[in-house]
Amino acid sequence: MGEIDRRQFMRAAGIGFLAALAPQKLYALSRSEAVYASGFRAPDGTYGIATASIRGEVIDRILLPARAHGLAYCPVSGRGVAFARRPGTFAMIFDPAGRQEPVVIHTPEGRHYYGHGHFSPDGRLLYASENDFDGNRGMIGLYDATDGFRRIGEFEAQGIGTHDMTVSDDGRFLVIANGGIETHPDFGRTKLNLDHMQPSLVILDAKTGDVVQRHTLPEPLRQLSTRHLDIDGDGRIWFACQYEGPRNELPPLAGSFAPGEDLRFLSLPDETTQRLANYVGAIAINRRDRLVGLTSPKGGTAVILNADTGAVLAEETVPDAAGVCAAPEGVAVTSYDGTLAGTRSSLAWDQHLVRLA
Amino acid sequence: MSRWIAALALALLSATPGLAQDANPSPPPVLTQEDARQLMGRVVDGFIRPGYRAFAARSAELTNAMASLCTTPSTQTQASARQAFAAAVTAWGTIEIVRVGPVIEKNRFERILFYPDRKGTGLRQVQTLLAQPDESATTPDGLLEKSVAMQGLGALEFVLYGTGAEQLASERNSFRCRYGLAVAGSVQRVANELAALWDDPAGVQNDWKNPGPDSASFRTGNEAITEALGILVHSAEAVRDQRIESFYKGEANNTFPKQALFWRSGLTFPMLVANLQGIHSLLDTSGFRDLLNEDQRSIVSSIDFVLKQLVRVGSDLNGDVEVAVTDPKERQKLDFLLLNSRDLILRLNDSLGGGLGLGAGFSFSDGD
Repeated sequence: MGEIDRRQFMRAAGIGFLAALAPQKLYALSRSEAVYASGFRAPDGTYGIATASIRGEVIDRILLPARAHGLAYCPVSGRGVAFARRPGTFAMIFDPAGRQEPVVIHTPEGRHYYGHGHFSPDGRLLYASENDFDGNRGMIGLYDATDGFRRIGEFEAQGIGTHDMTVSDDGRFLVIANGGIETHPDFGRTKLNLDHMQPSLVILDAKTGDVVQRHTLPEPLRQLSTRHLDIDGDGRIWFACQYEGPRNELPPLAGSFAPGEDLRFLSLPDETTQRLANYVGAIAINRRDRLVGLTSPKGGTAVILNADTGAVLAEETVPDAAGVCAAPEGVAVTSYDGTLAGTRSSLAWDQHLVRLA
Repeated sequence: MSRWIAALALALLSATPGLAQDANPSPPPVLTQEDARQLMGRVVDGFIRPGYRAFAARSAELTNAMASLCTTPSTQTQASARQAFAAAVTAWGTIEIVRVGPVIEKNRFERILFYPDRKGTGLRQVQTLLAQPDESATTPDGLLEKSVAMQGLGALEFVLYGTGAEQLASERNSFRCRYGLAVAGSVQRVANELAALWDDPAGVQNDWKNPGPDSASFRTGNEAITEALGILVHSAEAVRDQRIESFYKGEANNTFPKQALFWRSGLTFPMLVANLQGIHSLLDTSGFRDLLNEDQRSIVSSIDFVLKQLVRVGSDLNGDVEVAVTDPKERQKLDFLLLNSRDLILRLNDSLGGGLGLGAGFSFSDGD
C-alpha cells in the first residue's frame, strides 16, 4: 500500500468531510447519543469511522480514503482520533458532536502510523505509535492538540513493531506495547522477523521520554507479540498478546504489571486459550465493574475476566469478534459482520471500538 | 455479576447471520475438516513441493552453468549461464508467491532475493566487493557471514549483467565469476533446504495437511483454508505493490525504471509473469472452486480469466523497462496490468473470500 499524501487524502475524503459537517441524523438519533466509535468497511467497499448509540445504532459516519484501526477519545476536548491502519500515514481528529471540523494529520517522511495513540489527560497532547521504518525502531510521535495537532517531537519507543500505547491517569507515564515484529512499508504488512522477534513492554517518562521500566519476554515466549493495552482503576497495566509460534502450543495470552513490578502472565484455562486461538485482537477494562474483556477474531470468541483474580467469568462465541470497550455495564463487543450491542448494521466494524464520554 | 453478563449477552444476541448486508446468492458453504485436508493436500503436494523441487533443480543447473563459465569462459558459456539464471529466476517466481512457512525463517526468503532495495544497499555492497575482492565471498559458507543482499539472485544478476560483466567471457576463474558461483551455490543450498523441509513427511507438510490439535501450523480446517487463501491474496498484492508500482504507478506519476526488479537482465516481466502463473497454478491445483457453492463457482472462472489476461499482456511487454515506461503503447500495457492486478486482488479478497464465508473479505479479517 502506498502512502496517501495530504492532497490525495483531501481528494479522496472530500465527500466524507461534507457528510461529517452536515447536520444529518440517521435513525432519528441525535449526535449527543453517540457512545461508541469504530472504524468500518461499508458494503460498497469504502472505509470510514462511525459513531454509534448505546444500542449499537449507527449515528454518524465520516468517510476515509483507507482503513482506520485504533481510536482514542479526549474527555476534555470532546474529540476523538482514529489512526490509519499500518502502514497508513494519516490520522483524523473528529468531534462526535459535530461542533468542530475534522483535522487530518500525517506522519513526517520516513514514518508511518502503527494504528494506535492516546491523548494526555489534560487534552493538550496527542501521542501516536509510529514506525521509523528505515531505522527499524518504534517511535511515539507527539502532537500539540492546542495548535492544530502540530507535530512537536517524538520519543523512542525502545522497541520494534510498536503497536498500542496509552497514558497513565496522572499523565506522567507513557505505556507502550512493542509487538517485536519488524515490518517495512516496502513489503506491505509482511512480518519480516518472526524467527527473531523482540517483544517488549515499556514505560516512558511522558515529559522526557526516558525509560522508566522495560520488560522483555523470557526466551520461551520470544514469539509472543505484546500488542494491546489498557489500564485499570488501580493503575495496573493490562496487556494482550498474539502468538506467532507453533499453533499447537498454549502460551499465556494476557497479563498485567504495575510500575516497579515484573510482568505477571494470566494463567487462563487451556480451553479458553484454545478458544482465543492464540490471538487476542483487542483488550478493554471496565473499571467500574473491575472486568477485563478480550476478543479474538481468529477464535470467534469474547472472554470476560475478573480483574482482581484473573478468573474467567464468561466466554461467548462471537464469530468475527472485533473490538471491545467498556459499556455502562459490562463490555461492548463489535464484530466484522456489523454487530454491536444487539444491533446489526450494514457496516463491518473494524478491529477496535472506543467509548466516547 | 449478572448485569455485565446480561450486557454481553445483549451485545451478542444478533451476532448470528441473518440480515445479509450484501446480495449474496446463497449463504457461504460450511467447510468441513475433510474439505480442509483435501485442499491443503493439493496445495502442498500439487503446488508447494513441486515448486520448491523445480526451483532446486533450476538452481543446481545454474550452479553448474556458473562453474563452466568460470573454468571455460567464453561467450557461449556466458550465454548458457545467463539462460540458467533466467530459468532459476522464473522457477523462483512461481514458488515465490508462498511467503509463509520455512521460507520466512532463517532469512531464507531474503537470501534468495533481497528486494525491494530502494536505497540500493545491495548493489553498493556488490560493487564494493567487486572493486575490492574479498576471497571469503567466494564460497557459500563465507557468504553466510555477509549481508543477505550479497547472497541472492539480485547480486548474481549484477555479476552476470552489470558493469564489467563482459570480463566473465574472457578471464578464467576471475574473482567476479567465483563470487557469482558462490552466490549460485548459496541459492542452491537454500533451495535444497526448502525442498527437503517440505518433502519431510513428518515435517511442515504433515502440519499443513492435517490441521488439528497436533498440528504446529493450524488448529482448525478454517485456519488452514484461510492461510491458503492468504497466499493468493498477498501474492497478488505483492505483484501490484512490489513488482509494478515500484517503478510505475500510473499515467500521472513519475516512473522509476531502475527500481524495477531485474531490469538489467530484461527479466522484469518474465518474473512478473512467473508470479502470476504461480497464482494461477495454485488457484487451479488447490481446488478452491470446489469449495464454493454451485452458484458462486463463476467467481473462480472470472479470476481465471483475469489471470490469463494479465499473463498475456505481461508476456507481451518490451523487456527493456526504460522503453516500457516511455513508449505510449507499452505504457498502455502497464496501465492494463495495474488496473487488472487491482481487480485481481479485489476478486480474490472480496469475491473468493466472501464466497468462502469471510463476509467483509479476506484482508478485513486479519486482525492486527
